[in-house]
Amino acid sequence: MTAPVPAVAPGVGRKPKARGPRGRLTFDRVSFMVVFLGLPLALFLVFVISPFVQALYYAMTDWSGFSPNFNFIGFSNYTKLAQDDIFRRSVLNSVLLAIVVPFATIVIALLFASLVTVAGGASGGIRGLRGSSFYRVVSFFPYTVPAIVIGIIWAQVYDPQAGLLNGILTAVGLEKFKSFAWLGEVATAMPASMFVMVWAFVGFYTVLFVAAIKGVPAEIYEAARLDGAGRLRTIWSVTLPLIRDNVQTAWIYLGIAALDAFVWMQALNPFGGPNNSTLVMPQELFNTAFAKGQFGYATAMGVVLALITLLFAACVFLVNRLTGGRDEGGRL
Amino acid sequence: MRGSIAAAALLPIGGALASCASSGTGTGTGAAATTAAGSSNNPFGLADGSTIDAVIFNGGYGYDYVTFAADIVKKNHPTVTPNVTPSTQIAQQLQPRFVGGNPPDLIDNSGAGSIGFNTIIDQLSTLDDVLAANNLEGTPISSTLYDGVKGPGTYNGKFLALNYVLTLYGVWYSQSLFDANSWTPPKTWDEAKDLGAKAKAKGKYLFVWGKEAATYYNTLAMDSAIKEGGPEVRIALENLDPKCWSQPAIQQVFAAMGECVKNGYFVPGGAGTQFTAAQAQWSNDQQALLYPSGSWIENEMKKATKADFKMTGIPEMVLTSSPKMPYESLRSAAGEPFIVPTAGKNVAGAKEILRTMLSKDAATNFCKTKLAPTIVKGTVPADGFGSTALQSQSKMLDAAGKNVFDYKFVTRYGMNKDMLVVWNSFLSGQTDVAGLTSGLQGITDKVAADSSIQKEKVTS
Repeated sequence: MTAPVPAVAPGVGRKPKARGPRGRLTFDRVSFMVVFLGLPLALFLVFVISPFVQALYYAMTDWSGFSPNFNFIGFSNYTKLAQDDIFRRSVLNSVLLAIVVPFATIVIALLFASLVTVAGGASGGIRGLRGSSFYRVVSFFPYTVPAIVIGIIWAQVYDPQAGLLNGILTAVGLEKFKSFAWLGEVATAMPASMFVMVWAFVGFYTVLFVAAIKGVPAEIYEAARLDGAGRLRTIWSVTLPLIRDNVQTAWIYLGIAALDAFVWMQALNPFGGPNNSTLVMPQELFNTAFAKGQFGYATAMGVVLALITLLFAACVFLVNRLTGGRDEGGRL
Repeated sequence: MRGSIAAAALLPIGGALASCASSGTGTGTGAAATTAAGSSNNPFGLADGSTIDAVIFNGGYGYDYVTFAADIVKKNHPTVTPNVTPSTQIAQQLQPRFVGGNPPDLIDNSGAGSIGFNTIIDQLSTLDDVLAANNLEGTPISSTLYDGVKGPGTYNGKFLALNYVLTLYGVWYSQSLFDANSWTPPKTWDEAKDLGAKAKAKGKYLFVWGKEAATYYNTLAMDSAIKEGGPEVRIALENLDPKCWSQPAIQQVFAAMGECVKNGYFVPGGAGTQFTAAQAQWSNDQQALLYPSGSWIENEMKKATKADFKMTGIPEMVLTSSPKMPYESLRSAAGEPFIVPTAGKNVAGAKEILRTMLSKDAATNFCKTKLAPTIVKGTVPADGFGSTALQSQSKMLDAAGKNVFDYKFVTRYGMNKDMLVVWNSFLSGQTDVAGLTSGLQGITDKVAADSSIQKEKVTS
């Protein structure tokens, strides 16, 4: 970042004279550059850049995926995408996920993190609730279970007849939930799926935020408390500004995970849910490529997904900047 | 910090783009390698010392029946090494090998992850010579098979896939439950509705469905309508005709189903129930009386079927007492399509395995262990190895005789997933018959209008 150069930089003016532009090209120097610059660059070009370029190309072909032959068809895959109502629906669902899941996860994780670090007793030193180290460990548990397992378990929990959820709801007297299909109703399929994702993510981000809050000097919290700040006020005005870099990182990672969401949705509603209400872009891409044998078209979907993901990351940075994020110097 | 912005911005692409590289080098070079002179016990000229690479879908039928046949091949040709590999994701696993020009010699292209035939028909070897050859007992194979075996494996007039397992579609029920309540299985949709009312009086339901298998009711509806309205109903569907779902026979069946939905004859919550769990509500809990399915159902639910259930199949319902095709008509098609890519290194070896599978020992072994008939006639004894479902299958096939039909458009164009959405909505009562019709029409119209998809014209 372009840090404002101080008008007068004391002590910098008398820099010792440089020894030639970059020093001599000794064997050490060259081998160092080959190993630490050339090799990673080559790997990056072969395994990252070249697939991108290839994907851009395949997206403009009618490749079926199962033969070496295909025709170049220009942008017609993209025009087809623009008219594809099912794909549009999946884009909408993915965007919805990218908005709701990170937001909900971060809010809950931040609350939990505050509870186990600074929201303890109102007198004495700054500390978390009693037993907070236990909660910290427990909250991490879901993150250690693979996503596909979580998906399968929750699909069973949501089962209309034999599921735990309806079992509990009917047991407490809510008879209308007898055989209620949580994943089968348009109104509930998406929220229920989102809940599973948030449930799985919260633990990890709690731990992340706990670590960040631990890095904030306790004096600041003490000062806030002496000034009469309540717990929510402390989270909003002290914790959040001081760990905003972590929040931003969390937001981007969560957003990317939510834009993918393939594993979750494939486990919960493999075919896209009622009226395609939980269909996400990667599912539609997968189906188009492997079931329908339209790899060229599927690749175009991949390109769109990549663009949306980039756009999402850009938005997060922009929002952070507009709300006064400290990009220059500072922590990080 | 600017650097990190760029890095964070680039990061997502890695996960997003499927990097599908077609090496573009593969043009069949393999096939020529292994052929020796054909003879009566080696009709395809299987070369000594060669290996056979078979990739078999490991689904409801497992893959051990192919291993069984491969062992016989090994016994007859001791120098040959057959390798049988199971797979549940045929398309994902074999896609790069097809593109690279080194596909396996023999593939059972089946299951949810199978390769769409549309995309590979140019790369497959015709299998007419397998049927023309003698089996291991010395009888010409073509004379030992059920009628219409070639149909489901014929694409653009060429016989490219040998479908090994005989599958028929019907409605299945528990003979013991029906006997205990003195119910009779319905032959028409009116009888089905009556039965639904009787079931309801007993606190039971007529039908049950699961979210991944909602389209079994699409099969039931189409088959009913085809029997009622004759082959032209089927041909219109196969050719994705505009308004093909508005044909009167289809509409009448949809209307009957709609009534069942409205009257609450379906176990509620199916759109959120995993399909095997839903099927167990029929086969184990006996909450539902009938289940429309293919004949794999007995094997699939083996571990979740009530003792003394006596699973029995009947032909699908018709609308009137005088349908265009007799009530006994069946949708029957052989399933488990075995294909032999022309670019495989040992085409002769692949065909030798198929020839062995179509001989007596291997075919009988399949019936006995899987309780399902193969396309080879006369391998199921009268007692059906003790299975009432297998007995009823033999009965249904005999009664149907030549009145057997099949259609391929759903699998050919990969439409099942899109149809599931529409059917789940309909069966759970979220949409009506009009919504179902327009939903299905939208799916077929989309394929019909897409010029990049190669269509097959069906005329009979």
